[in-house]
Amino acid sequence: MKKRNLRGAVVAGAAAAALLLTSCGFGGGGGTSDGGSSGSAGAVTTLDMLVPSYSDGTKALWEKVIKDFEAANSDVKVNLEMQSWENIEGVLKTKIQGNKAPDIYNGGAFAEFAAEGLLAPVTDVASEATVADFQPSFADNEKVDGTQYGLPLIASARALFYNKTLMKEAGITDVPKTWDELYTASKAISDKTKSDGYGMPLGNEEAQGESMIWFAGNGGNFGTGTAIEVDTPANLEAADFMQKMIKDGVTQKDPGATQRTPMLNTFIQGKLGFAYALPQTIGQIKTENPDLEYGVAPVATKTGTPATLGVADRLMSFKNDGSKAASVKKFMDYFFSADVYTNWVSTEGFLPTTKSGGEKLAGDETLKPFLDMLPSAVFYPTTNPAWNATDGAFKSLMGQIATGKSAADVLKEIQAKADAAK
Amino acid sequence: MSVSTAQKRPAKRKSAREGASFLAALPWIGPALLLIFTIVVFPAGYMIYNSTRKISQVGTDLKGVGFDNFAKVFADPNLPRILLNTVVWVVVVVTLTVVISLALAQFLNKPFPGRTLVRMAVIVPWAASVVMTTTVFYYAMDPNYGIFNKFLTDIGLLDEGFGFTKNAVPAMAVAIVIAVFVSIPFTTYTILAGLQAIPGETLEAARVDGAGRWRTYISVILPQLRGALAVAVLINIINVFNNLPILKIITGSIPGYSADTLMTYIFKVLQFDRRLDISSALSVVNFAIVLVIVAIYVKTVKPMKEV
Repeated sequence: MKKRNLRGAVVAGAAAAALLLTSCGFGGGGGTSDGGSSGSAGAVTTLDMLVPSYSDGTKALWEKVIKDFEAANSDVKVNLEMQSWENIEGVLKTKIQGNKAPDIYNGGAFAEFAAEGLLAPVTDVASEATVADFQPSFADNEKVDGTQYGLPLIASARALFYNKTLMKEAGITDVPKTWDELYTASKAISDKTKSDGYGMPLGNEEAQGESMIWFAGNGGNFGTGTAIEVDTPANLEAADFMQKMIKDGVTQKDPGATQRTPMLNTFIQGKLGFAYALPQTIGQIKTENPDLEYGVAPVATKTGTPATLGVADRLMSFKNDGSKAASVKKFMDYFFSADVYTNWVSTEGFLPTTKSGGEKLAGDETLKPFLDMLPSAVFYPTTNPAWNATDGAFKSLMGQIATGKSAADVLKEIQAKADAAK
Repeated sequence: MSVSTAQKRPAKRKSAREGASFLAALPWIGPALLLIFTIVVFPAGYMIYNSTRKISQVGTDLKGVGFDNFAKVFADPNLPRILLNTVVWVVVVVTLTVVISLALAQFLNKPFPGRTLVRMAVIVPWAASVVMTTTVFYYAMDPNYGIFNKFLTDIGLLDEGFGFTKNAVPAMAVAIVIAVFVSIPFTTYTILAGLQAIPGETLEAARVDGAGRWRTYISVILPQLRGALAVAVLINIINVFNNLPILKIITGSIPGYSADTLMTYIFKVLQFDRRLDISSALSVVNFAIVLVIVAIYVKTVKPMKEV
């Protein structure tokens, strides 16, 4: 009898342990709404702010903005939470499920939140003057069905960074402008020097960006706000060319599992011929390897016509119960005032999205090559509700072109994931 | 769920008086039951509930869809490879861990100068955070600046760094080595405890009967280790099956699903596809598999049977 009980207890215990271990992915449901704390006038309103880090300095920059803002507005406190780009959307989803959506959120995709009525329209959380100050092209990118939900925070573009020393060593004189020239130059560097020719980061950090740069170079894109179109002839041609670069060994090893940040570090160390990088990379080179002989040029495309990936990130406000809108408005108006905003944007090395900010930074030489490229920039279809799933599909699947799967199959697989998310 | 049935069973069979004594015990076991309910039963129930819903990508519950999510899971073309990976992963890690631990425990059971120090050293991989240990390995294997790759190129085994963590098969092998490394301390100590519980007389009797060392080990020591081994194997199976941190760090950057186990696949479905409903259904499948393994194990190995 006693033995039986013991065995029963072992089974039960094992079942409990199994449950405990299998369910550890569960991210806290049943949380309570904390909207009631901001009732009476004169009481302090606490705003929850969830932002990603663009660089090592992002946290300090936000902390300074918040400190100055709180000094000027004693009735509002801002509770800052920083997350990495890899984790922020998971954290946000958990917060939404627990009814604790942040009052201020800095992110990429927003259309699906707007479609479900979770976001406050910008007119509720920013004054008319602030809204009118955004450059129209960016403001349009923030609209779903005519209503603007996002306040464009930063703009950025990718450009071709080239290592002059390695080019000289390999006997390349002209900066490549077309795919074929880039191929030849990368091959020469791979063959004649100890370094890799072209850096292609198709790991889950940058696969979507790298793919878009190549697709845009052939007149392609990821689709529009209403339809995701990844599996197109133009995109396939570009993906085939990417695969050819990998197969012929003109890229670094294992591009499918390469992340952008460590790869750009090898460029900064002078061990990579070409890479697509960001305005911030210039600042990084300045501090980490100022002796690097390098240049910045437009993206190499199939025919040589300019095209690049443009990125805009935005601030948005989740409605919750709507009681904090006035306080959010105070914060947005303060942050987007010309001095505060341009300091933030230029310290981070991004391009401004406001008219007043653009005027202030017009003379900045570091930003000039990128500002010039913005008109030919292609944006992600962020207003498409299926964009998040498409983005995820690129991150987890695009690298397969480097592990032997045919480009056509990979694009089909990504398209299928995007279609399933409708 | 299974917890309460296990406790009900004896109560039902015994007299009503003893049933009343269970009630009397309730205030004492109540807190434990409450804890089990809130952190085990409720989340598991919620997971099962989620697996029958359609949930939008941002996390709002749209409608009930019955077993549609399970149909999608079983129709997934990636599933066979993932299940195969999972089986290889669990079998290889648990087998290697147990074999190495048996040898190590035997060694640590013999008195020798400095034994305490060696015993403490064995605990280190257990004491260190798994994420930390794995990250150290991950950086050491990096093709460009990893110390392990540098060593292999310096002694001339490789011409240039190899991406151990960048391709499915070598990355899986690296993950297995790390998993064995971090599982050894617990397993070794469980077996060591079993070894110390073996009465000296049985070993002496074997010697008197003329049994050789190997024969003594197989016929006398190993059967008496049954209880310790059963616990070690069972806990290891569940732990390794559900392991996420090691695989996520080592194989996380590999594109596609060729290096995924069920656990990392669930995570990818959640993180990249943003399908809470599908990943819940996968978790239910995962949980069912663990239960079946445990049931088969308990039924065939009979860990509680006395020697």
